[in-house]
Amino acid sequence: MEMRHDNVGEVRRVVLVGRLDTAGVDVVETKFGAAIVPNGKNTIVDLSGVTFLASMGIRMLISTTRALSRKGSKLVMFGAGPGVQDVIETAALTEIIPLAASENEALELVA
Amino acid sequence: MANLVQNELCGLRSATVIDGRLELVLNNTLAAIEDGRRRVVEFLSSEPLGEVARHRLEMVFEELVSNIIRHGFTRNSGQSIHVRVARRPGLVEFLFEDDGIPFNPLEAAPPAAFQSIETAKLGGLGIALVTKSSTHLDYERLTPDAGGLGFSPCNRLAVSVAT
Repeated sequence: MEMRHDNVGEVRRVVLVGRLDTAGVDVVETKFGAAIVPNGKNTIVDLSGVTFLASMGIRMLISTTRALSRKGSKLVMFGAGPGVQDVIETAALTEIIPLAASENEALELVA
Repeated sequence: MANLVQNELCGLRSATVIDGRLELVLNNTLAAIEDGRRRVVEFLSSEPLGEVARHRLEMVFEELVSNIIRHGFTRNSGQSIHVRVARRPGLVEFLFEDDGIPFNPLEAAPPAAFQSIETAKLGGLGIALVTKSSTHLDYERLTPDAGGLGFSPCNRLAVSVAT
């Protein structure tokens, strides 16, 4: 599991690549939170490189989004492939974390 | 019989294909999730699976093995999980057997619907995903004289996933 981040204007952009399963979350969770929460910026998360999402990955997304929300900022996901999107919809995760179809749409949602 | 492995140190104790079915014995370690998953993916590699079906199959395997090891087993014990995987027309059948504490996922309370990011509960997501992503789910608690795949008493969970 890999992660990188940069900024798009005033928005933090985080790119996740690999499997967000038990092992992948164990590797990336601390780095993911550290890249997003202390910064406190509105954040978009690119899921286009995520090939698998399990409940541990959903937990990571929720806990980080919650911590960011307490700083008054938003997190939006985008780029999910069919399998990852199916899990997101099955878990009804979009009730609390928006999922955009593209990066531009994600940027509009956090603006 | 093919693909037999013997390794007590990794997550996979044995993997065997018998009569077209994959039989796995997994050790009580989280490494069993990935070691077992690789065998399941290899076994199903000839199936024309779509992206959603492939993801659901891997998710069901991950969530159930993870749940047994985290919540059903005693840490560092020599307990094991027996998994049988069979291909059927239009679906894949899993059979999970373990000698952990009794747990019937059909009786598990579903997690509360998400209302807000502040109140969202993190527990119970895995079992709920399995329930919603499978076409059939059946649980038995086998008594010592009721069979099983090699040990008893045990939990037996049959799960079917559409392909």
